[in-house]
Amino acid sequence: MTPRGSWWRAMLGDVHFWVPVAVLVLGLLVLRWVR
Amino acid sequence: MKTGRLARLEGLGILCGFAAGAWLGAAEAPTKLVVVGLAPVVVSLAMVVGVFFARWTIPALIHGTASIGADLRRTPHLVVWAILAGCLWAVANTLTVYAIRDIGLSIAFPLWNSNSLLGILWGVVFFNELRGAGRSRWLGVLGGAALMFGGATLLALASAAAAGSAGSGGNPRHGIAAALMAGMLWGTMYIPYRKAYLTGMNPLSFVTFFTVGELGMMSILALAVTGGGSALWHELELARPALFWLLVGGFIWVVGDLLQQFAAKYAGISRGIPLSNTNQLWGLAWGILVFGELHGIGGAGYARVIGGSLLMALGAGAIAFASASEREHEWWRVAAERESQRYGIDPAWVQARLLGDAAGPGPRQRRPLDWLFLVVATLVFGAAALVARAPAIRVAWVWVGVLAVALVILLFAAGIRLWRDTEFS
Repeated sequence: MTPRGSWWRAMLGDVHFWVPVAVLVLGLLVLRWVR
Repeated sequence: MKTGRLARLEGLGILCGFAAGAWLGAAEAPTKLVVVGLAPVVVSLAMVVGVFFARWTIPALIHGTASIGADLRRTPHLVVWAILAGCLWAVANTLTVYAIRDIGLSIAFPLWNSNSLLGILWGVVFFNELRGAGRSRWLGVLGGAALMFGGATLLALASAAAAGSAGSGGNPRHGIAAALMAGMLWGTMYIPYRKAYLTGMNPLSFVTFFTVGELGMMSILALAVTGGGSALWHELELARPALFWLLVGGFIWVVGDLLQQFAAKYAGISRGIPLSNTNQLWGLAWGILVFGELHGIGGAGYARVIGGSLLMALGAGAIAFASASEREHEWWRVAAERESQRYGIDPAWVQARLLGDAAGPGPRQRRPLDWLFLVVATLVFGAAALVARAPAIRVAWVWVGVLAVALVILLFAAGIRLWRDTEFS
């Protein structure tokens, strides 16, 4: 079991987390471009 | 893992996927009454406000906020995931407005509708979906999704021809980029969905936090697009007579979205998401039967509508019958175990949740806070109804009745099974 409080570290080390983050940033950039 | 139980739950997920399509499609109907003359971003924002109230009241009514709090304590990381998913939704929804402006609905829709294909890809790559599934099931899911994609394109062509929506001579590169990006955002939004359910979170809790990201991001975008607080307030003032219908649209959308969440949980994203994309079929049925759209589209237009509808129905059927095998369920379990280990969650609890066993506070525990949510939401809807103006558009009420009965039947069929099999777990 991961000690309580370290879920942030687990999440930041999870590639699954960075895919949606990267897509969100890309989406905001595209939105800025097409406006 | 109890395979028979999982197979039964997958059937439930598929039923939820079909019911989700019907409710998500119906959510467009109230907006058709009022959108003329309103800024699209204001229409989206008002709907999201309705979504926000519905998403805080329906889960509170079914399980109570105590259950949501228990989920929060067990899986705090999923709050971040849910807010992230809400942000993805809001940016995608706003991009579709610009895509339609620049290239028209007929080209834009198929481009962003590719989201279910991307959802399948993420399901396979990240969550072991379709692993060990065998050739026939791969063919069923991928072939079904491709058929639905083709059907959706034909329906979009027919809708756009009737609406005269060929794009207003905007920048085509911008339009294509916006539509593709919207599809990418929506397709990627299913990663947090699947993540949440493989880690044991209840869909009712997930949507409650999802809406925080959705409303927050939508408010920021609306402020940016309209040019600031006073400009946005002015736009909202103009929309006041229409607010009630937009809130109702948001409310109906939430029912569809909740069913979609249960579909993603019990059938996986590779099957649940394409099935709920049948919403286009239902949206078209409301348009044709209730609002008399597509009059005079000619033989080619009707051929597109009939052909597109048949293709979508065939595709959805193929996916529904490509149920997961015992081996594939085993791979789902492996993915769930990985999540338990990574985030330090009790594997027994995660497995119980995957099997639809209600855990945590019982469904009948209600706190004053739950009733407060209900009262506030009722007051907001009531206040909007008082200033609402009756729509001037002609509506075929007989068809409203027929479609509403179909919606209620699907909701009851899915709701009763969800209650009996999982107590909405």
